[in-house]
Amino acid sequence: MSCKVFFLDGGECPLVSQENRLEKTNRVNLLFDFYEPLLTEKQQTFLKYYFHDDFSLGEIASEFDISRQAVYEHIKRAEQMLEVYEDKLGLLGKQMKRAGELENLRRLLEEDNFTDVHKETALDLVRRLQEW
Amino acid sequence: MATRIRLKRIGAHKAPFYRIVVSNSRSPRDGRFIEEIGYYNPVAEPAVVNINEEKALQWLQDGAQASDTVRNLLSKAGVLKKFHELKNQK
Repeated sequence: MSCKVFFLDGGECPLVSQENRLEKTNRVNLLFDFYEPLLTEKQQTFLKYYFHDDFSLGEIASEFDISRQAVYEHIKRAEQMLEVYEDKLGLLGKQMKRAGELENLRRLLEEDNFTDVHKETALDLVRRLQEW
Repeated sequence: MATRIRLKRIGAHKAPFYRIVVSNSRSPRDGRFIEEIGYYNPVAEPAVVNINEEKALQWLQDGAQASDTVRNLLSKAGVLKKFHELKNQK
């Protein structure tokens, strides 16, 4: 059994649109985690099929017996709504910033020789996190 | 019925993680799939992809269609290139 493990380092990829597709899936899924309850039931359903389960537009269309174009419109509209909510509320942005700072804090606390300087930096981080 | 290779999202809220699975085109999204052939973790820095190359090649040769996202991962892993080389040998 041969398994291939590798890291995505943003290396060259001839198909830019495919590259975007993966990035887009990740972004939409993250936004959806935050704003799912704000979308209509239909939008939630189609987004789940398309971005959680990777169905094609055609497959969703035949599943629901509507046109491919209609599925596309629903998904596009839902994506737009997610970006509108993120623009206004910024929950994903804040979460990522917080996660980054917490990671810095964790690394500081794991320092082998934890000095007063480290402590000051750590406290600074905590204060900043409290202000958000 | 067509066989597809897709990403299936699992993982916690706000921490997406994907299985690469083989499933029937018409199987509803209830979690059923034929086989798992790898995973993709976009949260790790850098993102980690693990693909069972043998199985992926076998499914592709059996005519399974990969979704756009999976094609992306397969081509990065060099699996698609191998698939085409195998095809041309015949």
